[in-house]
Amino acid sequence: MAQSTTQAAVIPLAPTAPILRHRTLWRDAARRFFKNRLAILGLTIVAVFLFLALFADWLAPYPYDKVHFDKVLLFPFVDPNFPLGTDEVGRDYLSRLIYGARTSMTVGISVQLIALSIGVPLGSLAGFRGGRTDFLISRLIDVMTAFPGLLFAIFLITVFGGGLEKVILILGITSWLGIARLMRGQLLSLREKEYVEAARCIGASEWHIIWRHLLPNAVSPLLVAVSFGIPAAIFGEAGLSFLGIGINDPLPSWGKMVGVSSAYVRVYWHLALFPTILIALTMLGFTFVGDGLRDALDPRLIE
Amino acid sequence: MTRYIVGRLISLLFVLLVVSIITFVLMHSVPGGPFDEGKQRLPPAAKENILRKYGLDQPVWKQYLKYMWNVLHFDFGIPYQVPNTTVAQLIADTWKITAQVGAMTIALSFGLGLLAGMLAAYYQNSWIDNVVTFTAMLGITVPNFVVALWLILIFSVRLKVLPSGGWSEPENWLIPGVFSKDWILPVLAYSLAPFSLVARYTRASVLESIRADYVRTARAKGLSERVILFRHVLKNSLIPMVTALGPEIPNLLTGSIFIEATFRIPGLGKFFVTSTFNRDYPMIMALVLLIAALWGLTYLLTDIVYTWIDPRVRLGGAAGGGA
Repeated sequence: MAQSTTQAAVIPLAPTAPILRHRTLWRDAARRFFKNRLAILGLTIVAVFLFLALFADWLAPYPYDKVHFDKVLLFPFVDPNFPLGTDEVGRDYLSRLIYGARTSMTVGISVQLIALSIGVPLGSLAGFRGGRTDFLISRLIDVMTAFPGLLFAIFLITVFGGGLEKVILILGITSWLGIARLMRGQLLSLREKEYVEAARCIGASEWHIIWRHLLPNAVSPLLVAVSFGIPAAIFGEAGLSFLGIGINDPLPSWGKMVGVSSAYVRVYWHLALFPTILIALTMLGFTFVGDGLRDALDPRLIE
Repeated sequence: MTRYIVGRLISLLFVLLVVSIITFVLMHSVPGGPFDEGKQRLPPAAKENILRKYGLDQPVWKQYLKYMWNVLHFDFGIPYQVPNTTVAQLIADTWKITAQVGAMTIALSFGLGLLAGMLAAYYQNSWIDNVVTFTAMLGITVPNFVVALWLILIFSVRLKVLPSGGWSEPENWLIPGVFSKDWILPVLAYSLAPFSLVARYTRASVLESIRADYVRTARAKGLSERVILFRHVLKNSLIPMVTALGPEIPNLLTGSIFIEATFRIPGLGKFFVTSTFNRDYPMIMALVLLIAALWGLTYLLTDIVYTWIDPRVRLGGAAGGGA
């Protein structure tokens, strides 16, 4: 009799239970995320800018580098052909703002991809192996942290030149530290779990354990870190471009547009106003998404 | 405790050593040099003389050892871009101004940020909370060079009440030697971001501790709200903030290139760009070492302050949480 009850209890549950629990964790998080009005607003903003970035070629009325010599420094809402006016060499400002979204999104996402591809393996290795590997990687992180990032970026740019790809590369190799530190901390606690021991016992390789068992458990803090990392990278690009050592002309960048316009802004206020609003909106969108993700995924709030 | 601090200082020295080696090798390994001719070619003999004068004709490892030997004697060399002074003198002169901006910014943003964050948490969901949350959002989403530009547009171009640039100009003193009109806009522009950070952290952290049992106990035994807020709540909410905000301090003290460029402040900031552009090796080394040392010292100080405000934390030993 005892045998039959255990069978009845175990057999139907065993194949479905882990899958069901796994899915509800994410479904719970998604439900909490979509209940948060600010998070939805943020997601909408991010989606709009991603849409602008992807379809800039169709949405923009002119190519970003098309010069109209007879329409230099046009105010907005004056000429219906140039709804947001033109810049100091007569390029349609609306088109440049739309293409600016492409620059920002490209930089934000690519920088985070680079940061992930350096930070996750190094951090995991340090946290999982411990000992000498951890010591070496931790000291590397220490040294890189002490290194002034901006000075390093300026130095690399003066040596290798600016431009979109180089800005992405340089911001990428200076922004993986946070992710590495996060992964190390996560894996330090996760590797003590019983299921890791079990995986070791059946002879799973180190990378298999990290990839299949540990990374999925560290995904949520990583997701939050990335959602705050993207606006940080966009900020960095805007700063470098503002100084005139980031994105090269004629490719538009909101940071560069603010920087260049500061010479004309006393009269042509619109040159600074529109990129300012767009930078602020992008940051706002990603910050709301990040806050929302953090609140939705933070296990402390599950009560 | 002393042993712990000495240990940390030694590891800081190690980090500085590695940072200096990396910087030195990186600087010298890229093609080109500080005295490359532009259009006008120097006679080979003259160029050789210049290189010999600065020791640039030696192998890199020899140059590095010589540089470090001099640094140990507090001689940081001569900046190539301003040869009539020394690196130490140049940094002392310009950093004084940068540190002035930074110190005022820290005082303003941390003071106001703490107050605003506390009020926002205490009067949660009131109009105060909304104003603080909105301002903090603005500070996080708008880069400081954009804030600076708009402050100039509003206060010096439109309203013409504050100067748009310069630092401690003789005609702009409000109280001579004490307070200058030149300081207001740069410090405001520079403060918005750290203010937002401090206000957000304080609000979250006070909200967490305001519901704690010891607050109810304090209320029950009849303490005044002010004593509860400042003595009990603030003290406990400061603990997580020290680690989060401590690292902001060296950042603020070394200044912002953006703020200094926008307001034409003769501080350290511009040398970040000009030194790298001109391959001013001694200046680059000094800046890198200065910032790295400040970082290390701040982290150490943060950990020490941590044990001071939270006696539960013990450093270095096995007992307690560790920082």
